[in-house]
Amino acid sequence: MLPLTAAAQSHMIGLGPSRVLDTYISQEKYSGIGLTYLYIREGKKPGKHWQNNIEHEIDLSKTKDRTNTTSMLEGNYNLYWGRYRQWLLCDNRLKLQAGGLANVNLGFLYDMSTSNNPAQARIALNLMPAGIATYGFDIKQQHFSLRYELNLPLFGLMFSPHYGQSYYEIFNRGNYDHNIVPTTFVSAPNFRQLLTLDWQATEKWDIRIGYLGNYQQAAVNNLKNHIYTHRFVIGITKTIGER
Amino acid sequence: MNSLLMRHIRRMVKAVAFLPFYLFALLPLSCVDVTEHEDTPEGNFEALWRIIDEHYCFFDYKQQVYGLDWDAIYNIYKVRAKGPMNDYQLFEVLTDMLSELKDGHVNLYTSFDNGRYWHWHEDYPSNFSDTLQRRYLGTDYHIASVAQYKILDDNIGYLYVGSFANEIGESSLDEIIKHFAFCNGLIVDIRGNGGGQLTTAERLAARFCHEKTLTGYLQHKTGKGHNDFSDKEAEYLEPSSRFRWQKPTVVLTNREVFSAANDFVKLMKCFPEVKTVGDQTGGGAGLPFTSSLPNGWTVRFSACPSYDRNGQQIEFGIAPDYPVGQTDEDFAQGRDTLIEFARKLLAEWK
Repeated sequence: MLPLTAAAQSHMIGLGPSRVLDTYISQEKYSGIGLTYLYIREGKKPGKHWQNNIEHEIDLSKTKDRTNTTSMLEGNYNLYWGRYRQWLLCDNRLKLQAGGLANVNLGFLYDMSTSNNPAQARIALNLMPAGIATYGFDIKQQHFSLRYELNLPLFGLMFSPHYGQSYYEIFNRGNYDHNIVPTTFVSAPNFRQLLTLDWQATEKWDIRIGYLGNYQQAAVNNLKNHIYTHRFVIGITKTIGER
Repeated sequence: MNSLLMRHIRRMVKAVAFLPFYLFALLPLSCVDVTEHEDTPEGNFEALWRIIDEHYCFFDYKQQVYGLDWDAIYNIYKVRAKGPMNDYQLFEVLTDMLSELKDGHVNLYTSFDNGRYWHWHEDYPSNFSDTLQRRYLGTDYHIASVAQYKILDDNIGYLYVGSFANEIGESSLDEIIKHFAFCNGLIVDIRGNGGGQLTTAERLAARFCHEKTLTGYLQHKTGKGHNDFSDKEAEYLEPSSRFRWQKPTVVLTNREVFSAANDFVKLMKCFPEVKTVGDQTGGGAGLPFTSSLPNGWTVRFSACPSYDRNGQQIEFGIAPDYPVGQTDEDFAQGRDTLIEFARKLLAEWK
């Protein structure tokens, strides 16, 4: 009845607003529109309580300051590898998953209006507690499932130049100054949530719509940054094996 | 239909109420954020003053040299940046305030003008004339990237590098040094060179370096306080592994030699076979950063101070080994006084 016990691959494209701040580049906030591609592979083995998920998220935004004078490009790639314990409840209509995931973040910010300190690299590793709830239901003999995923901050490592340190000094001179920074849920409170609704269009394929919110932020080395992305996503889900 | 939906909703609510991780979602989201200033004359003034206050790197040094007091400057200019004023008036006030820093790396960029402080060279003779230079280069000189070069009549090599804005390739430097291989000495003329890429300056200087050499120190700010600095990190220059120039060299300088070109002079003065001739350089020893104001204007400022090999400031320039200025008599005769002095110096080099 429900695609809750089968492996699945999902491809989604998202569009929506982005908000960017990085005090290494500017004290001003930038906002604009961004595009996201999200791939999720949920590997499920019948009879197993544990499962592994992999997610690839690629995000690109073009943002402007409040006067539309200067532009900032933002790009991010996030890999999430998660391992979850799962429980089936309510006559197998509800699946709960709790676990954690490892996140690798690679990204950049590029200020298109200047040639001095125009860019900022984003490199981070995070360990994040995570949970997923999936609920299957039928309406007029059509099968649907509602899925909500939440990733929360715990701790990690991130790259950051020091407050007034130039990339020339780091990479040309090799001068290290707390550029690999341990982070916690206090100094890097990253959150991410994904809410999707799937409609089972065929035996193998579902149509998916939803919302993806990714809120990456950090306050390290006396610098503050955040990238908030909100995406309306649409995509397809392919069931692998028997439902 | 409605009862079916309601049944599903009731089941969902019942189940979700027991989800332990749901509690995490109730945690208040903590935001990493800053408070932006208003886009008003007062707001832009406050934003600019604070950006400089928290990031500029020469407050202490300039307080010692000419009594710079940034807090006092706040009170002076806050009065001027008040009330209804148009962009041009605000630009004038903010540029005047930035000029108190006496720094060529401090600029205010708008769509209608670039605020600047250029007294470090505008108040001095340029000691350079491209009309005179043409008499030495002629029309058959060679060009490699930003370098122009030729062998002068007395078998002295003449290399002019008017900018470090673009790279000079290693192959180009090989060709230049090979071209000068049989010369008795070399003049490296960087008059008018306002800087560019430090890496270009270092690449050229490495052709005159024959052993790993301490060339200076570099620092950066670690916080908002005027004295929040990292330790001074020693800078070393490694010899180029390709063709290097082994013979006497004279570097020609004037007040327009700034930023990366100032750094080039700092490097060259570390080598025993190099002398500098001309005027004091213009300085510009702070690596510049930029930021932006609420109204979209961009401000550039010195953020990371660099020092010479003795740990001394070079923000206001580097004195030449031989102070020489262009004379009117030589100009009238079509002679570049500095080039002629360098030729004589190389001819008599001991």
